[in-house]
Amino acid sequence: MSVVSRVEAESLAEYRSFVRRRTTVFFTFVFPLILVTIFGAIVQTNPTGGGIFGQPTGFYVPGYLAIVVLFTPLSRIGSSIARYRDGHRFEKLATTPLRRVEWLAAHTLVNVGIILVSSAIVLGVLELLTGGSITLSPLLLPFLVLGVVLFCGLGALIGRLADSQDGVIAASNAIALPLVFLSETFVTSNLLPSWFRPVVDLSPLTYFARGVREATYLHQPAGFNLLVLAVLAVAFFALGTYALPQGE
Amino acid sequence: MATAVVAEHVTKRYGDHPALDDVSLSVDTGAVFALVGPNGAGKTTLVRTLTGTTPFQSGTVTVLGSTPGRLDKDRIGLLPQAFTPPERLTPRELLEYYGGLYDAARDVDDVLADVGLETSADTWYERLSGGQQRRACVGLTLLNEPELLFLDEPTTGIDPVGRQDLWSLVASLAEGGTTVFLTTHDMDEAHTLADVVGLLDGGHLVETGTPDDLIEAYGGGSSLRVELDGAAAEELALDLDRPYERHGADLVFDGVAATAVGDVVRGLEAEGVAYESLTWSEPSLEDAYLNLTRNGPAPRGAVDGDGLDANAVPTAGRSS
Repeated sequence: MSVVSRVEAESLAEYRSFVRRRTTVFFTFVFPLILVTIFGAIVQTNPTGGGIFGQPTGFYVPGYLAIVVLFTPLSRIGSSIARYRDGHRFEKLATTPLRRVEWLAAHTLVNVGIILVSSAIVLGVLELLTGGSITLSPLLLPFLVLGVVLFCGLGALIGRLADSQDGVIAASNAIALPLVFLSETFVTSNLLPSWFRPVVDLSPLTYFARGVREATYLHQPAGFNLLVLAVLAVAFFALGTYALPQGE
Repeated sequence: MATAVVAEHVTKRYGDHPALDDVSLSVDTGAVFALVGPNGAGKTTLVRTLTGTTPFQSGTVTVLGSTPGRLDKDRIGLLPQAFTPPERLTPRELLEYYGGLYDAARDVDDVLADVGLETSADTWYERLSGGQQRRACVGLTLLNEPELLFLDEPTTGIDPVGRQDLWSLVASLAEGGTTVFLTTHDMDEAHTLADVVGLLDGGHLVETGTPDDLIEAYGGGSSLRVELDGAAAEELALDLDRPYERHGADLVFDGVAATAVGDVVRGLEAEGVAYESLTWSEPSLEDAYLNLTRNGPAPRGAVDGDGLDANAVPTAGRSS
C-alpha cells in the first residue's frame, strides 16, 4: 500500500508540474501533429506509385505512433532527471522512503497517460485526413505502454549521462532521429543497403513498428514482436532505474 | 546521554581534492549542532556523508544507531543546500507530495502553520518570496516529525525577517526535542541557535565546543576603540598606563573589560584627550574562527592543549 501511495504522490506532483507548463503541454501534443501533417502530405503525393513513401497510409501508422512513443518519453524523462539534479531533489528524495524504481514508475505512468492522449489525437487526425482508412487493434494499447516504458528507461540513461537539460535535448535528438528512420517506421528495410539491415534488428523501435504494423495493417499475429518489446522494456526500465542518481 | 550522530575519522575525496580530512565528531540527542565554515570548507559534503547521499573513502558514520545506508528514513529530515522543489506547485501541494512519500505524515495545515505559510498556502512556489520559499522547504522536512533534522544553510539568501522566523522555528524544534544538525557561514546564526559549534576549514574540523567556550578560548579579549577628535590626533603623544595601538585616528585598547571602560576614559581625560566616540566590543565567534583558521588552533584561554573537549571525539551536547 505504501508503494502505491508513494508512486501516486510522485506521479501526481509530476502531472501537476507538467500541465502547468503550458508551452510544454502545447508542443508535446502539437509536435507529433506537425510531423503527421508533413509526412501525411508527402505520403499523399504518391500513395501507391513507388518511391520512398509509396505505401498506403495505413502502412505508416506505426511510424506516426513511433514518433510519439519515442521522442516524448526520451526527452521528458531525461529533462526531468536534469531538473531534479539541478534542484538537488534527488538528494532530498534519497532521505525519504521513495525508491528509485518507484520514482521511475511514477514518471513512466505520467508519460503513459501523455502518450495515450497524444496517440489518440494523432490517430484521430489521421482518420479525419484519410477518411476512415485506419484500422485499430486492441494490441495497440500494450504496444504503446511497453514502448513508453522502454523509452522512459532509455531516457533515464540519457538523463544520467548528460550533465544538463541542454545536453539531454541534444542527446535525445541525436538518438531518436536515426532510430525513427532506421526502424522500419517510414522506410522499409528493403530500401536500405543490405549491410545495414542487421542494424535495424538492433533498434528496439523496430519491434514496436513491426508489431503495430502486424496488428493494424497486415492483420497478422503480433505476439513475437510484443514479447521482444516486453523483454526490452523490462531491461531498459531496470537499467534506467539503476542509472538514476541516488543522492547528490 | 545518547548520541544521534557519530563520525569517526571520516575522509572524503573528490578525485585528488580532499573534501573531508579525518573528521570526527558526535552530536548528542536533542542538541543543536552548527557546522560553521566558509564556502568550500566541506560543510555540505559532511552533511551528505552523514545522510548517506554521498559515499566516503574511509572512517565510520553512525546516525541514530545505523550506518547511513541502512538509516530508517522515517526518522530523519534533510533540507539540502540550494534545494528547489517543483516550482509550479503550491506549498500545500508540495507538502501533500512529500507527505505522500511517508507511511505516516503530519497534517498539512499544521505544518503550514508551523512555517507561517497559511496565507500563501495556495500560491505557486515560484511566486513566493525568498523567505517564504525557504520556509516552505523547511516545512517539507517536518512532515515525518524527524528525530534528527539536517538543515544545510537554511537561511542563505533570505531577508532578516525571514531569517528570524527560521531561527524561531529551529529553536522551537529544538525545544521539542528534535536533534538539529545545521550548517551555516553566518556566525551570528550559529551563536544564536547552537548548543555546540563545529568549526570546519578546508575539510578539517578544527575545533568544537559551545559558542561561549570557543569565544573564550580563541576569540581574544574584549576591546575599546576610541575615535579621537580632530586632526590633532595624529600628533598626539599619550602617556597612558594601559597599552594601546594606533589605527589611524583611533586608539584601540585590547583586553578591556566592560567594568574597566571608565578607567580608560578617565585616563584619556587626564591627558586632555578629546574624543568623538567610544566603541566597546566583545570577542565573537567570528573572531574565534578567524583566530583558529589564520593562526592555527593555539588556544588563548585556559583549556588543555587538545582543545575544548578532553575527549578524543568532540561531543555536541545541549547545555543546561
